[in-house]
Amino acid sequence: MNPPVRTIQLPLNARVLEANDRIAAENRAEFERRKILAINLIGAPGCGKTALLEATLRALSGGRRPAVLVGDLTTRRDGDRLERWCDQVVQISTGQGCHLEAHQVRDALGQIDLSRVDYLFIENVGNLICPVGFDLGQAVTVGLFSLTEGDDKAAKHPYLVESADLLLLNKVDLLPHLSFDRAGFAADVRLLNPEVPVLDVSATTGEGLDAWLSWLERRAVGGA
Amino acid sequence: MHEFSIAESIATQVCRYAPATGRVCSVEIRVGALRGLEPSSLEMCWQAVIHDSPLAGSELLVDLLPWTIACPACGQTWTSPVPFVACSCGEPRPNPTASDELDLVSITIEDEMEA
Repeated sequence: MNPPVRTIQLPLNARVLEANDRIAAENRAEFERRKILAINLIGAPGCGKTALLEATLRALSGGRRPAVLVGDLTTRRDGDRLERWCDQVVQISTGQGCHLEAHQVRDALGQIDLSRVDYLFIENVGNLICPVGFDLGQAVTVGLFSLTEGDDKAAKHPYLVESADLLLLNKVDLLPHLSFDRAGFAADVRLLNPEVPVLDVSATTGEGLDAWLSWLERRAVGGA
Repeated sequence: MHEFSIAESIATQVCRYAPATGRVCSVEIRVGALRGLEPSSLEMCWQAVIHDSPLAGSELLVDLLPWTIACPACGQTWTSPVPFVACSCGEPRPNPTASDELDLVSITIEDEMEA
C-alpha cells in the first residue's frame, strides 16, 4: 500500500525578479557613489537609438564624459558606430535574450573606467516590451519612439510609457511626409502617464537635441 | 519571447524556496496588467522551462490583476483587461491604471506522510 500523501501550500510572497533586482540595486549604489547618471534607453528596432546616441555623443564632446553599454542580439555594428564618438563603449551580445538584465550591466562595467564617466548610456536591445520589466540600476528610463513606427505605439506599450522618466519622439523631420497624428500620440501618453515630458527630436537634423541635453544636465548628479 | 525569461525566473525562485523533500505540484504567481504578460503564453513557457527538471509536471497558476478604469465624467470605476476603453456614459477616454507587480505568491507541495 502506498503511503498517504499530504498536500501543503507554502505562502511565499517573494518577488519573481528578486535576483535581478538585487544586482540592479548594487549597480545603482555604485552609480550614485560615483555620481554617474545612468540612462536606460529603450526603443523598438529601427527607432534610432544608436543614431540618437551618435548625435548625443557628438554634441557632448568636451562636456560631460560619456560611456555607452549597448545591448544587441548578435552583431557588433552598433558598438562600432558609437566607438567613433566615444572611447568607452562596451557591446553586450545577448544571444537569444530580448532584453538586458542587471548582471549583464554589472559584468560590462568591469570593462569601463568609471572614474571618468558622467553619463552612462545603456542602449537596451531593440524591443518595447521585455526591457521595461528588468531594472538595470539606472537613474532614469528614457523611452524612444519614432514617427515611422506609427502614432499608436505609446498606446500599445503602456508599461514603457508609464515607467519612463522622459519620452523622446524621434524622426520629427519626417512629419511633413507621414500621416502621424502628433496630437493623438500625445493624448495617449497623457492618459497613461500625465507627468512624463515628451521631447521631439531628430537624430538626423539635430532638431531637439539641445532640449534633450538640457534634460540630461538637469538630471545629472551635481548638475545645475 | 517575453514570457520565457519570466518563466525561467519563476522556476529559479521556486527551486530556491521549495523544501528539499516533496513534489511541487503547483506554483501561484500574481501579475499586474502593466507587465503585459499573457497567461497562456506564460504557462506554455513554464512547461518548456521545467521539462526534465525537478519541477516537471507542476502547474503554473497566474492571477492576472486587470486594469482599473476610472471615468472622470460619471465617476464609475471598473476593471478591464485592456487600458483603452470607452465608458458607458459616453466618455471616450476614461483613466486607466494598473500595477506592475510580479510576485511568487505560493507553492503547493505533495509530500508522503511518514508512517
